[in-house]
Amino acid sequence: MAQTIKKAKIKSTESTYTKITNAIGLQQIVILIVLILIYALFAAASPAFRSGNTMTSIMDASYYVGFLGLGVTFVIITGGIDLSIGTSMMCAAITGGVVYNELHAPVWVALVVIMVMATGVGLINGILVAKFKLPPFIATLGTMMITRGLGSIISNVKTETFPLRGSANGWYKSIFRTDGNFPTGVILLVVMAILASVVLNHTKVGRYIFAIGSNREATRLSGVNVVTSEAMAYVIAGFFAGLAAIAYAATYTTIMPGTGAGFEMDGIAAVVVGGTSLAGGVGSIVGTFIGVFIMTVLKVGLPYLDLQPHYQIFITGFVVLLAVYVDIYRNRKANK
Amino acid sequence: MKKALLSLGIGLLSISLLAACGKSASNKPTSTKDMRVEVIAKGFQHDFWKSVLKGSKQAADKHGVKLNFVGPKDETAVAEQLEMLNNAINKNPSAIVLAALDTKSEIDAIQNAKDKNVPVIGFDSGVPGAPKGAVKANAATDNYKAGGIVAQHLYDAIKTRLGKGQVRIGIVSQEVNSMSLSQRTGGFIDKMTKLLEADPNVGKGQVAVIGHDKYNNDVSTKNAKAIIELRVPAEVTDAAGKTEAAALLEKKDLIGIYGSNELGVKAIINANEAMGDRIGSTGDKVVTVGFDSGKLQQDAIRSGKFLGSITQDPIKIGYDAVDLAVKAAQGKKVKDVDTGVKWYNKDNIDDKDIQALLYE
Repeated sequence: MAQTIKKAKIKSTESTYTKITNAIGLQQIVILIVLILIYALFAAASPAFRSGNTMTSIMDASYYVGFLGLGVTFVIITGGIDLSIGTSMMCAAITGGVVYNELHAPVWVALVVIMVMATGVGLINGILVAKFKLPPFIATLGTMMITRGLGSIISNVKTETFPLRGSANGWYKSIFRTDGNFPTGVILLVVMAILASVVLNHTKVGRYIFAIGSNREATRLSGVNVVTSEAMAYVIAGFFAGLAAIAYAATYTTIMPGTGAGFEMDGIAAVVVGGTSLAGGVGSIVGTFIGVFIMTVLKVGLPYLDLQPHYQIFITGFVVLLAVYVDIYRNRKANK
Repeated sequence: MKKALLSLGIGLLSISLLAACGKSASNKPTSTKDMRVEVIAKGFQHDFWKSVLKGSKQAADKHGVKLNFVGPKDETAVAEQLEMLNNAINKNPSAIVLAALDTKSEIDAIQNAKDKNVPVIGFDSGVPGAPKGAVKANAATDNYKAGGIVAQHLYDAIKTRLGKGQVRIGIVSQEVNSMSLSQRTGGFIDKMTKLLEADPNVGKGQVAVIGHDKYNNDVSTKNAKAIIELRVPAEVTDAAGKTEAAALLEKKDLIGIYGSNELGVKAIINANEAMGDRIGSTGDKVVTVGFDSGKLQQDAIRSGKFLGSITQDPIKIGYDAVDLAVKAAQGKKVKDVDTGVKWYNKDNIDDKDIQALLYE
């Protein structure tokens, strides 16, 4: 977002129309309208969809995708990719389960272990990519497999169950949903989104992340420590994968070994639908936030049309393509 | 930043406004014609579930109720299944039929269904450990008993080979978390251990169980006369299953092997193809037994590579589950139905009553 605004200042040839749309963030408005349209469509098609319980279901399903998406937005803006977030999230979650169940540690210790582990995987990714110059796709493909295996090793291929709601240690569940079914997790998600937006748009690290995505070499030559800034993007992605792991544990209770592959794509799809470019240099947290809800409203809404799951995936694919195409089309028009 | 917050605000506001518009519909129809039953299976693409779907449809047609049948992509997709269950409950159906992947992760949702007075019927592996009174009845196979039947058949085929050095019996089990698979595996292990310990060529305390904490015993493999080795693939794919089956078939002392479901059986067949026919039903081959059916397994039984297999009755499971669901929704009293199993081998595989239970 900051980037597009900067562009608008540099390019004197741009039309007034583009200046206006850039100023109010057309991209976010377009996808917000798409989100509202999708929601309205489901609401019109099914009375049951309009219930408060459905809203809670949408929120429940959005947390882990949301945190994964928010974190990986930073990496994608640098022009990189992080394929390890899904499995590192599940690896951290299952490790937290082992700490709680086998080592009999209190729940808060398990949650801290989850955060440390996921952030640690992010740090390793950052070092591999920024310091050792491994292509992000390869580096994170490697850590994706490592974390997937590691989760099974640590848990001894056993399912780990977190404490149930209402049990002595079930308090952590209320972070995301109160016993009265109020989706408190959405507050945490919004707070973290605002925090992420501040870091991305109003700190040095954030600006450098944009700069690296636009032109790494030029950024380095202008004296920026690109290694630290680029690595930070992966650390942030790891940190958010930790939050996703806690959200997952709180929402789904049971963590099975060997799972998590594919979750990263849910997060990445939300980022892309939100208008962040895989080429790097362009992207926004607001876009990702709305993208996450487009994905989850589809996921929760399509079953109300009594569609089988494979039709749902099929349709979701089209929505991803459409959203990205609209964004590219708009950019092309804006750059003319 | 301002517009960022603004957009966030607008987004949330519009979502909550739209949400507030709705009211939940009533879910108490009087005749079966207005009823709808939501079925949440544990899978979709396996032949087994296709047969369950067939049975469910038959029952739905008979009662004239609406049916919606869904299932997650595989048996580890806990999150996906919970979302399906939440959806089903939010739709205010007349009844829900559920085969839980993991009851603990779904306990809130099941409680929610109970609070809304939506009866839940368990099927296949059911909903073990559900809140009291939430699940009205189950339509399921007694998997523990069935695992024991398999063990008995395998024991009868290998007992002449006992007492000539250490022997090994392998098991390939897709996972050991769900009730159905852990019981099939556990039922097999318990019965086989009992039979071997009673055998004069083996004896008490001479059977070591290894491979998974859930079933391992403290008998040392060093001196044991028989080893029961369980292998659980790292992930639910045919490739991972094959790796584990191959690791078992590599072992020279292996005399029997058991695949506890379609995936486990496929794993054994695929691994065997790659290593030149280690399995069979006679002679010095590794005697092989299975569970469920499927095309590969049926071919293996006809050609004598498998001694035989146990089949459940998937059509009856689907039929009875929906039948129970309709009765529960009408407020009738319902109780558990054992849907039964049958042992089949190359002699009876093409009998009419067996063929009706098999699926490809």
